Amino acid sequence: MAIIIQEDSFSISKICAELSDKDNVGAIVSFSGHVREFSKDKQLKYLEIEHYPGMTEKALEDIEKKAMKNWDVADIRIVHRVGRLLPKDLIVGVIVSSMHRSNAFKACEFVIDFLKTDAPFWKKEISEDSENWVDERQEDIIKKTNWN
Amino acid sequence: MKLKLLFFASLRERFGFSYKEITLAKDVKSPEEFLQLMSLGAGEDWIKLLEDKNLYKVAINQNLASWRAVINDGDELAIFPPITGG
Repeated sequence: MAIIIQEDSFSISKICAELSDKDNVGAIVSFSGHVREFSKDKQLKYLEIEHYPGMTEKALEDIEKKAMKNWDVADIRIVHRVGRLLPKDLIVGVIVSSMHRSNAFKACEFVIDFLKTDAPFWKKEISEDSENWVDERQEDIIKKTNWN
Repeated sequence: MKLKLLFFASLRERFGFSYKEITLAKDVKSPEEFLQLMSLGAGEDWIKLLEDKNLYKVAINQNLASWRAVINDGDELAIFPPITGG
């Protein structure tokens, strides 16, 4: 298990390679989230991501632990970027390894669904003529609730 | 009673700080009581935050909590808008 919060970009394929090197890993599922170029028809200049140092790591650890408890997976890595991100940049990566694919698929989806609502990160969208803090999406809340 | 107060995102911008150690004139039992006390003499922004408190989340010592949760001397109290990471 590992959690990394950093400003720099990272390589999902490098993490996949690390996880595939372990014994008895038959499946690796990865999710990567990227910055969209448009928000409500406005061209995005860049995104600012803020987090709550300490609490964010703790919240992500809790999510990882729950996923490890719920599914038979070998390892889970979460990497989330903060600071200034440009359109198309990588924001977040969730990489899960397991013996069989089903557990890795489910655990990966569980982690990203809970990360969206429980790990304190905030996004601000900056376009040519405006700055807006992103609102929470009802769809994210429903996705999390559906796991109960 | 002392509290370590943190604001994030839009609240950090509105209040102009992200962290402050606050000494209260009297003890409070919950984040809600803290807002009520602050709104008495600390300006419009606090009154608005109290009115709109259900739009925001609160964490005590880095754990999500409710506005009526118990708060103690020396606690870290964070107030922030809904989470939008990922």
